[in-house]
Amino acid sequence: MISANNVQLSFDGHNDVLSDVTLHIADGEFVSLVGPSGCGKTTLLNLCAGLVPHTGKGTIEVAHGAPRVGNPQIAYMLARDSLFPWKTALENAEFGVRVRGASPAEARDRARAMLAEVGLGAFENALPKSLSHGMRQRTALARTFAMDAPVLLMDEPFGALDAQTKLQLEDLLLKLCDLHKHTVLFVTHDLSEAVAVSDRVVVMSSRPGRIVADVPVALPRPRSIRELQKDPSFHELYAQLWSHLESGWTRHEG
Amino acid sequence: MKAKSMQWAALHAAFMVLVFGAGELASRQGWINPTFFGRPSGVALFLWENLQTLKLWTDLMWTMTGVMASFVLGSVAAFAVGLAFVRWPRLEQFSEPYLNAINVMPRIALAPLFILWFGLGLGSKIAVGFSLTFFIVLSSTVAGIRSVSQDHMTLCKTLGTSAVATFFQVTLPGAVPVIFSGLRLGLTYALFGVIGAEIIASEKGLGQTLAYLSSIFDINGVMALLLILALLGVGIVRAMTLIEKRLLHWQ
Repeated sequence: MISANNVQLSFDGHNDVLSDVTLHIADGEFVSLVGPSGCGKTTLLNLCAGLVPHTGKGTIEVAHGAPRVGNPQIAYMLARDSLFPWKTALENAEFGVRVRGASPAEARDRARAMLAEVGLGAFENALPKSLSHGMRQRTALARTFAMDAPVLLMDEPFGALDAQTKLQLEDLLLKLCDLHKHTVLFVTHDLSEAVAVSDRVVVMSSRPGRIVADVPVALPRPRSIRELQKDPSFHELYAQLWSHLESGWTRHEG
Repeated sequence: MKAKSMQWAALHAAFMVLVFGAGELASRQGWINPTFFGRPSGVALFLWENLQTLKLWTDLMWTMTGVMASFVLGSVAAFAVGLAFVRWPRLEQFSEPYLNAINVMPRIALAPLFILWFGLGLGSKIAVGFSLTFFIVLSSTVAGIRSVSQDHMTLCKTLGTSAVATFFQVTLPGAVPVIFSGLRLGLTYALFGVIGAEIIASEKGLGQTLAYLSSIFDINGVMALLLILALLGVGIVRAMTLIEKRLLHWQ
């Protein structure tokens, strides 16, 4: 669904932001991108979304075509909820579907169903100001999943949440991904989050961003965050990723 | 809540009685000269007599018409120009020095010229009010549209939202808080411009009557008109706050 071959990118023509990045994501696969801040993981995601034009070497294909913004095959989710404060939870949740051409009734039905799935069925008419951070991000999840795009690109969607809320939303994301089979590219700087939700974790090194490890996560699904904490292989994977991250970092520093 | 606001109302009433009582006493005892400062009872009498005549109401209507016309015309024009500036930033860049020069000029200085051009009627009053409202609403329109959340723009971009839908569903509602603070200020300035121009030369209007009363040393009348203008200003701001609360209930 997503395939990047020898992708290189530079903003100023001298210093590479991404260097020789090759990444293939199969249909229905959930892949996390981790790495130190400034390693270009968000840039890679934005390249796939078409938000950053690919001016460098190599090729990128997303959902069988060159990346472009507005592609209905792709849904993008930001770190902050980016809800419209003047719209209710339901109106926010249906915004993406509406924009992409669904009829008002259909958009409403899908948004309603998704809000119920994220546990906000009783908050359809609430304005964002009266929702907690977690509830707002749940609404953003509903908006994203309501579009039912085959490819989801997520840029640290839980990065701005407190630890407790984050765990709850990771659980929710696991549930949503089990229900709706999407291909997901998920950027995060949280290793345990990456292990918990992914089928594969790709580790990037700092500038120029390159892939230093590609670790399959063979934990069985359905998963729950609480059960994973008790699973020794979860912690092994976490330690393994840490060492990859460290090696990418020290190699760069040295 | 109810009891609290009743308490405040009582406190204000007591304060007003005290202030007007002190004024009345000072003027009767000859501590202040009523020829220059008037007298609360005289002001009350003036209001009582004049509120029953048509003249004061005609002036009020005349002034309000001028204020509303200059506010609406100024705001609509400013909004249109503001949109053009956001759409074509080079246009804004080019016009900036000229607009700045006009904006820093005391606009009331244009009033004599406007009176020559547009006559003693409403036209010249609207022109002065317009020249004040326009610049305030213009800068708030541009600032409001530029203040729109980048996250919202990114979201719209990735969704493939059309330019028209983005503008009406995202940019405009997001800009309303800032634009509205400009409108509120613009309306107060429209009142300022219209009254100023009326004082300089006019057929009718509260400003014209104010100037006339002061020229014949009817200080009670002047004070009464100032009171009316203050109440008018308060009324305008209150009305704007009410509209704002309805419009921005989501804030």
